[in-house]
Amino acid sequence: MKKIFLSICTAALTITGSLTLKAQTVDEIIQKHYDAVGGVDNWKKINSVKLTATSNSGGVEVPITLAMLQGKGFKVEFTFNGMTGYTFMTDKAGWNYSPFAGQTKPEAIPEEAIKEAQDAMDIQGPLFDYKTKGHKVTYLGKDDVEGTECYKLKVVFPSGKEETIFIDTKTYYHIKSITKSKANGKEMEASSAFGNFQKLPEGIVYPMTMENGGNPLTIKTVEINKGIDENYFKLPESKEPEIKK
Amino acid sequence: MKQFFLLLFSTMFVGSMQAQTKVNSYTFGALEARWLGPGTMSGRTTAIVGVVSDNKTLYIGTAGGGVWKSTNAGASFKPIFDKYCMSIGAIAVDQANPSTVFVGTGESNMRNTVSIGDGLYKSTDAGDNWVKVGLDSTEHIAKIIIDPKNANTIYVAAPGPLWSDSKHRGLYKSTDGGTTWNKILYINEKTGCADIAVDPNNPDIIYATTWEFRRKPYSFSSGGMGSGMWKSTDGGKNWRELKNGLPVKPFGRIALTLAPSAPQNMIAIVEAKETGLYISSDAGETWKSQSATMNVVSRPFYFSCLVIDPKDPKRVYRPGFGFSYSDDGGYSFTDASYDGGWVHSDHHALWINPNYTNQMYLATDGGIYYSLDRGATWMFVYNLPVGQFYHVACDNSTPYRMYGGLQDNGSWMAPSAAPGGVNNSSWQDMYGGDGFWVQPDPTDSNIAYAESQGGNMGRIDLRTFKSVDITPQAGKDEEKLRWNWNTPIVTGQANGRNLYTAAQYLFKSKNQGRIWQRISPDLTTNDKKKQQQEESGGLSEDNTSAENHCTIFTIAESPLDENLIWVGTDDGNLQVVTDGGKSWINVSKNYEAAGIPAQTWVSSIEPSRFDKNTVYVTFDNHMYGDMNTYVAKSTDLGKTWTRIKSDEFTGFAHKIKEDLVNKGLLFLGTERGMFASNDGGARWFRMKNHIPDYAMVRDIQIQPKTNDLVIATHGRGIMVVNDITPIRMLTKDVVDQDVVLFDSKPMEITTGKYGGGGSPVSGGWYGGNPDNIAPIEYYLKERATKDVKLEIYDAEGKLVQSVPGTKRKGVNKVYWNLRWTPPKTATGSTKMDYGGFIAPMVLPGNYTLKLKVGDKEYSKLLSLVHDNSNKLFTVEDRKEQYDVAMRLYHMHEELYALVNKINAEQKTIKDNMDSLTRPQNKKLLKEYNTKLEELRSTLLATKHKSIFADEKKLREYITEVYGSVCGQECKPSNLQTERVAVLMEDLKKGQQTYEKLYAEYNTKTAAAIKDDKAKSKSPTPRSGN
Repeated sequence: MKKIFLSICTAALTITGSLTLKAQTVDEIIQKHYDAVGGVDNWKKINSVKLTATSNSGGVEVPITLAMLQGKGFKVEFTFNGMTGYTFMTDKAGWNYSPFAGQTKPEAIPEEAIKEAQDAMDIQGPLFDYKTKGHKVTYLGKDDVEGTECYKLKVVFPSGKEETIFIDTKTYYHIKSITKSKANGKEMEASSAFGNFQKLPEGIVYPMTMENGGNPLTIKTVEINKGIDENYFKLPESKEPEIKK
Repeated sequence: MKQFFLLLFSTMFVGSMQAQTKVNSYTFGALEARWLGPGTMSGRTTAIVGVVSDNKTLYIGTAGGGVWKSTNAGASFKPIFDKYCMSIGAIAVDQANPSTVFVGTGESNMRNTVSIGDGLYKSTDAGDNWVKVGLDSTEHIAKIIIDPKNANTIYVAAPGPLWSDSKHRGLYKSTDGGTTWNKILYINEKTGCADIAVDPNNPDIIYATTWEFRRKPYSFSSGGMGSGMWKSTDGGKNWRELKNGLPVKPFGRIALTLAPSAPQNMIAIVEAKETGLYISSDAGETWKSQSATMNVVSRPFYFSCLVIDPKDPKRVYRPGFGFSYSDDGGYSFTDASYDGGWVHSDHHALWINPNYTNQMYLATDGGIYYSLDRGATWMFVYNLPVGQFYHVACDNSTPYRMYGGLQDNGSWMAPSAAPGGVNNSSWQDMYGGDGFWVQPDPTDSNIAYAESQGGNMGRIDLRTFKSVDITPQAGKDEEKLRWNWNTPIVTGQANGRNLYTAAQYLFKSKNQGRIWQRISPDLTTNDKKKQQQEESGGLSEDNTSAENHCTIFTIAESPLDENLIWVGTDDGNLQVVTDGGKSWINVSKNYEAAGIPAQTWVSSIEPSRFDKNTVYVTFDNHMYGDMNTYVAKSTDLGKTWTRIKSDEFTGFAHKIKEDLVNKGLLFLGTERGMFASNDGGARWFRMKNHIPDYAMVRDIQIQPKTNDLVIATHGRGIMVVNDITPIRMLTKDVVDQDVVLFDSKPMEITTGKYGGGGSPVSGGWYGGNPDNIAPIEYYLKERATKDVKLEIYDAEGKLVQSVPGTKRKGVNKVYWNLRWTPPKTATGSTKMDYGGFIAPMVLPGNYTLKLKVGDKEYSKLLSLVHDNSNKLFTVEDRKEQYDVAMRLYHMHEELYALVNKINAEQKTIKDNMDSLTRPQNKKLLKEYNTKLEELRSTLLATKHKSIFADEKKLREYITEVYGSVCGQECKPSNLQTERVAVLMEDLKKGQQTYEKLYAEYNTKTAAAIKDDKAKSKSPTPRSGN
């Protein structure tokens, strides 16, 4: 459960915001992609995003809040039966708290996982200004996502983490990602799909559903640049565990 | 916003509205095949390479299942080559930069059933993505070596085509990382390169062996003057043949290796008139013959693996028929023990971890083994489902059972579904030898028929798995019976009592093989030139029935008429009889007129179940070097034929299958893929629904009750596509519509057919079960860019549940659990209550499905019926269960409301307590709070947080009964029903207690707060009741 939310969160908040048929190069595809989802300028203005969403499981709608502050932190909270659990990370630390099964204090996320997650704390997404960020992006040709032809781009982050991004050749929307991480001695792959794209008042086009093999996440609201600061990613004092020195 | 979407939608779909929609590979992508294994018996594996720098990444090459990768030393594997050729000859990893991996396709263990490769592939991201880098026509690649000092230099040993002369063989070299290739050692069109070794200290020193070999449909030859051992000291520019100390030519296949830690020490197995082991200690300049065990020198064309320990030049390994090792540089050998269990014979690759040379992995005809004690004992890897089936059959039991024979690995059966899911323990080994055909007796569920190579066949009692030999014997004045390697034994499709088998003659039995009747003359060409198998093998005699020829390969009784029987032979004869076996007609000249070569192997015959005169046939001519896909149809009992062609087709054809319901729906299995047509064969698409693109598909069946498509692959075990009804329903008029919500058959209300302990399977291969509850299916012409959801309403129009939908182009499946939406359960506890995830199953009746795609809605009625197969649960039981469950459901909701009221009162108290200044007011609020808490603590767990602390209060007690009643298919017990009344009493008591407390305190406390605030003049908000 925790891992699913974590990966949805990372994927959800890094949705990149594309257009002629002869697009071949990485830069052309990326440019057209951003054109299609609201333009580079609109995406550049975004410093924080907060989403409210629900995940449906057997008819039960679990409310979920996801938030990200560019380069500083991200957090996902999920509420069920009056209890709220969370996972969040900053640029230095991270915590998991799942009270549902009796956990009383947050658990620290291993340092290696935090390092890998830094690359995902990027609201504009890994393709945005990728050269400055030190990402290596390779165009792997066209590939198919459930019958939809896509451009396939592979991003290798400085941490070594990899993300393969699938961009619909017709709409230039980013409809799928596969991320591969190697933290803590385990190689893990997660796949996320995006749909129901809507244009927000801020001018960007955002996917209002996200799936990663489990129950899909339906996004109800998107708040851009509203009230998220570094304090949002601090542990409640009552939950402060002993911190490793 | 809406306008934007309408605009977007209209602009997106303009293009596709104009063109006719085609059914393609992705239309049925959601009908994903289940991979059922087995993993308990794996299949032939051909290559192993580990990543030296991490001790845990492994790449496994297989004979027919592609490449599998493990990143945890073998604890789990995943296939990483499923878009490409499934036959793997060699793998190499650039150990200095392990993201670079080469895969050479086309296995080089040149047995009769070896498949064909299509070139060399390269990945620069550790196997995530692949690019073909050439050598497309080599067909077989034996070894790839990356220069340890310069990764841009790569050598590829290509024996080349097995079935024909070819210039595309020899030793290839690239000096630009695989972009361009030069052939640096080439003998002639019959001789390829079988092995190569590069001196790690001086990579300009290269050793290579050349091999002259050829197969024909009826013989094999290993050996010729082209075979030899060669050395170059300038990176392959110039070559010198090594002869000193080696036997007299001609040679056959030569396996050669050097000691990585002392490369002047070399060892070779040279196939010759007398095959022997040879040792050199001067970098191959002189060789010395060494006595060797049978295992070291046996079957050199098939066992070409020889490895010296990376650190110890004296430790030599010979994976062959068995596993032998030497501690004295190859002077003497000992065999591995079976203390860790039997090690499958027939070994093809060994990888030793150079960092820890006790750890090694072995590739055999039965899968992968690993050793942690230098090869003395071995443990099997149970999680590689790469078995090589030839045929599959299904019976009519529930769940139906699948039967099939595996190359080198016997005959097996397994249920298609099982409690806990189909896993390794579900598979039963039922007959020995190489497995091919297994046929359940349609008239006797305790009996099945199986056979092993060369026509040995048995009748098996499925209760005991004891078998009786039922192989027909030659009669007086009859020629020796010629049995194909893969002899057919089949039951009648029109009359299940008929059992057929065939050598050159067709035999029929009506009593389970106790009495056989020969019902044909020799139906083959009986060409004596093709019957010299005792001479087969070349330098090493090798006659295992694999080359038996002029035999019957295919038998098919028409589903419409038991007297109409078709027979196909391996030498091109296609014969039909309409009178049960008296007057045979050879129609082979007729199919030749349609452009299919003579002598072609008749690989499958599918008499139509819709028309007696119609028949579909596949032909396989690869043994004459012709890899084309030959499929033909006749509608006049074979007098005239029409070729069925498609640009989609790849690989020689093994099987064509006509659907049982939709006569236009056809499936085709070839050596390189699974194809389907829903317009009678005019247009075809490759099936990619969790089926590897180039899967080797040997057989296809359709189970009539479940409509499952059951596929026998030669390298990926059995695959099952559950219920192909959506494929049948997707007719031309359907595919042109934007959205189609399919009609659902009346659906049984069930929690699923199987239970199980619930423990996850520890290790091994897990094939799972079909869907517990049938999915609701719909078709989208294009991928939905808007929200998709499915709403279910009852007969009164009440929303039962809303289920998120998927958005893929083609068929989509969503799952409704046939239950109401779960209740709200009381909050504010120290623990979560799982009652909030449970809902009662709905009652039988009519429901309305509303599929919402964006702002459009599509409706269908769904009829839910009681599951009458469960005799222990009647409709009346179900109603009683429903009644009890709903009472508990409503109790949860009432309790939720009650606790909410308490929570609200307590919140008000808490919000105001600190700001109160008058002691009597504080006291009053505390008193009210204490009494509320006393009540609350009787209603739900409030103290213990751990899941291991079993604090149960009213909420938990309700869930205890509610969970049991909702989760089972059974009338509630007397005590469960009575318990509801008890709990209802408790709930009422709680409600009454609250009302009393509220009446007593609410007004008073409100006044107290107001009074206190008035005095301090600082208003505080109050939450409502």
